[in-house]
Amino acid sequence: MPLDTSSYALAHLRLDGRRWNELRRLHAQTSTQAAADGSSYLEMGNTKVICTVAGPAESRKGGGGGGNAEAKIEVEIGIAGFSGVERKRRGKGDKRTSEMRHTIASAFSANLFAHLYPHSTITVNLHVLSQDGSLLAACLNATTLALIDAGIPMSDYIVACTAGSTASYASNDEDADPLLDLNGLEEQELPFLTVGTLGAGEKVSVLIMETRMQMTRLEAMLAAGVDGCRQIRSILDGVVRAHGKAVLDSAIS
Amino acid sequence: MPHATAPSTNESTFLLAALRENVRLDSRPLDAYRPISLTFPSSSPDTYGQSEVRIGKTRVLCVISSEVIAPYPDRKFDGVFTISCEMSPLMGAGVDTGGRPDPSETILTTLLDKSIRRSRSLDTESLCIVAGQKCFSIRADLHILDHDGNLLDACCLALVAALAHYRRPDYEVHGEDVKIFTAQERDGVKLTLRDWPFCVSSSYFEAGTITITDANLLEEQCREGELVVAMTKHGEVVQVAKYGGVAVDALGMLQVVEQNLAKVKMMDGAVKEALARDERERDKGGVMKAELSAENERVMERPVG
Repeated sequence: MPLDTSSYALAHLRLDGRRWNELRRLHAQTSTQAAADGSSYLEMGNTKVICTVAGPAESRKGGGGGGNAEAKIEVEIGIAGFSGVERKRRGKGDKRTSEMRHTIASAFSANLFAHLYPHSTITVNLHVLSQDGSLLAACLNATTLALIDAGIPMSDYIVACTAGSTASYASNDEDADPLLDLNGLEEQELPFLTVGTLGAGEKVSVLIMETRMQMTRLEAMLAAGVDGCRQIRSILDGVVRAHGKAVLDSAIS
Repeated sequence: MPHATAPSTNESTFLLAALRENVRLDSRPLDAYRPISLTFPSSSPDTYGQSEVRIGKTRVLCVISSEVIAPYPDRKFDGVFTISCEMSPLMGAGVDTGGRPDPSETILTTLLDKSIRRSRSLDTESLCIVAGQKCFSIRADLHILDHDGNLLDACCLALVAALAHYRRPDYEVHGEDVKIFTAQERDGVKLTLRDWPFCVSSSYFEAGTITITDANLLEEQCREGELVVAMTKHGEVVQVAKYGGVAVDALGMLQVVEQNLAKVKMMDGAVKEALARDERERDKGGVMKAELSAENERVMERPVG
């Protein structure tokens, strides 16, 4: 059981020793690949994602597909066969994958200053090396970093994380804690949602929940998720600034 | 959704200007649905499981069919339930889907899948006949006949109504032999539906400050973001999906979810009423009413005092 209810009630610790509002270790690097316009590597606990961005570049379809006043964002996701617990080759046409691609493309289309690059395409390539929960959130965060590294202007970071609930939907426990940043085991057993916010405010850009939940508990989960996003934003901002400082220092010296 | 004609600048500016004054082009309140009509057209009195839903001018037809197959090896005790929703040029002016499914079609199918199939509203274990050997495969085919916005809500309503209406063939198991009866031999058995989840779609305009429910085609083409909530009438949220689009206030979203409960109850009532009406129509000769009613013929007098 990912959440042994007896021990959780005693010490309020999850299986990996975290409390309800603690994020996993978040490690991020930008400019990991010199060949790409923008790249990043992000780890949320054991979920590891590489992101590369190419663009803005001229649309492949030329004049036929053009006529857009804004840049078009295309997302490709490759989930490695060794990323999960069991080895499983996933084709590109997988339903879940295409849903994630649509979400990421749609979230950034509304956020990037795409009107600055008409008739072009920005291609985002995500590679998932290891999955342990919060996959969509990790992909969104990695894409934000890579787009910043590519120098594409945006209004604010899009940061995402997952939030879940301890009580199953059947028991109407009003004291059920919301959980922040679920790992793989917790995601399989508990109801959870993925929330992506625009910056540190309360504006929600992405919200996906696929499990059943009582309407009343939605508020607590959403609040925990939004707060987690705030924490993640400050971590990612620190990473970007540190990288910028390193670049400046090496340029000066 | 694929559509040949994108709205002209005049149309979209007029729509947005009207919305800023809290006015929709068809004079509806911002959170009102268009008139919903739900019927069960069927070719013969033995055919169940076909529903047609109209929300305004949007028209969707859902047909449920079943066959007996061998279950998946990793799910021996479950039946199979598939939803298929294909877009065709029938639904809009000059829609050309070609060979590849349009991304919006994938999203529509995914949302329907999540709301009804993955949420286990239809109990697939009840479709099992002989574990590991035979099970029912229920197939829902959605045909979009006319597209005037809000396909998802219409498809979900049609699907739930058709599933609640459908009767699968009855069967008997004698050891290893399974006898499946036709509709003439024995009446069909209704499917086991845990609950009826309905989708309510809301659209955002003006950087997320204006929210409307049940967008028609023009409003859909001009909107900046969309929120889909699938709920049952008991207030259980089955799925929430906001795939990007403009960023909206979190509290506002929660309020929208709460308001959607009333819409879901309305749709639930519509399905119940349509089912009851259909039963009365099929019950020619009044057999059901006479045999199954618990009423006596004597006149009940009100007790005095």
